[in-house]
Amino acid sequence: MAVEMTMPILVVDDYKTMIRIIRNLLKQIGFENVDDAADGQEAYEKMQKNKYGLVISDWNMEPMTGYELLQKVRADESMKATPFIMVTAESKTENVVAAKKAGVNNYIVKPFNAGTLKSKMTAVLGDF
Amino acid sequence: MPAANVAAQVRTSLATLKASDLQDAQIMEVLKLAHQLTDTMKLFFSSLDQSICQEFNYIADYISRTRDEIAALRPNDIKTERIPTAGVELEAVVTDTEKATETIMSAAESVLCDEETDYDTYRANVEAKMMEIIESCSFQDLAGQRVSKVVNSLRHVENRVARFAEVMGVREDLAPSEETDEEKRAREQLLNGPAIGGPETSQDDIDAMFADAGGDSALDQGSIDSLFD
Repeated sequence: MAVEMTMPILVVDDYKTMIRIIRNLLKQIGFENVDDAADGQEAYEKMQKNKYGLVISDWNMEPMTGYELLQKVRADESMKATPFIMVTAESKTENVVAAKKAGVNNYIVKPFNAGTLKSKMTAVLGDF
Repeated sequence: MPAANVAAQVRTSLATLKASDLQDAQIMEVLKLAHQLTDTMKLFFSSLDQSICQEFNYIADYISRTRDEIAALRPNDIKTERIPTAGVELEAVVTDTEKATETIMSAAESVLCDEETDYDTYRANVEAKMMEIIESCSFQDLAGQRVSKVVNSLRHVENRVARFAEVMGVREDLAPSEETDEEKRAREQLLNGPAIGGPETSQDDIDAMFADAGGDSALDQGSIDSLFD
């Protein structure tokens, strides 16, 4: 199925500058319908009200981490199929393994560039 | 009153009794035994008094020396000067980097959105914004100086704490370590933070873990194993 370029994407990060960076990168790739949340809790609440085509989330946030958000999303029937990419400075193998087991679709370590983001989004969503 | 003095008083009393010319032989025998007992106890309590005094003197000296050592560590300097100053410096780093980031991001966004069609004008716009970005990068110099000051303060505190532990004879292997709630959460949520010197697991190795998954998020043992080659 072709990727809908107007699909809403949710970016989750407690660092406003990172959200701004990812928004700019997504715009360069062709996605402008971007929403954001400052932590896992806010993201989950937004996901309960809106349907997103992709979630791009940081890991280290409070009161709910990106890892906890991933687990909640995958446990929730209404949203468990939502593509989920972790974008984080957490680079230990145990983190990657844990995220993979929890059902993350892909994993990007910070710092990263537009090319990396695009290739991982392509791997998850298909060509666009 | 020292115990030896009490024994001396008892002895004096007994001597007085004996000199009072009592006729009862049993009482005289008891007095004789009591006399011997007080002589023995006098020696015992004398030595006890002396050893107790010595112990207390030692403890008082130790406390006095420890207090002097602690004062030499200048704990008030750490509490009222070093740590607050370090906090202020770090807050300044955050503020400086926020300002620089805002300038850089705005300049970049401005260039990306520039729809000027005249080449010379467009070039002048881009060059002006590039100069703003270059100038903003001076924040790194200031941030570096501030962080160096904080690192020095932390080393100072570290040395003082180590010295204090040495003065108090603290042995870390005896101290029970309890995990705080924050540490427990960090451990359970795998909150390790950014690694020094770049990501611990490279993007290529991470990609290898996801390469065979396709739509299935089940973990491939071969992909995990490749991380440990």
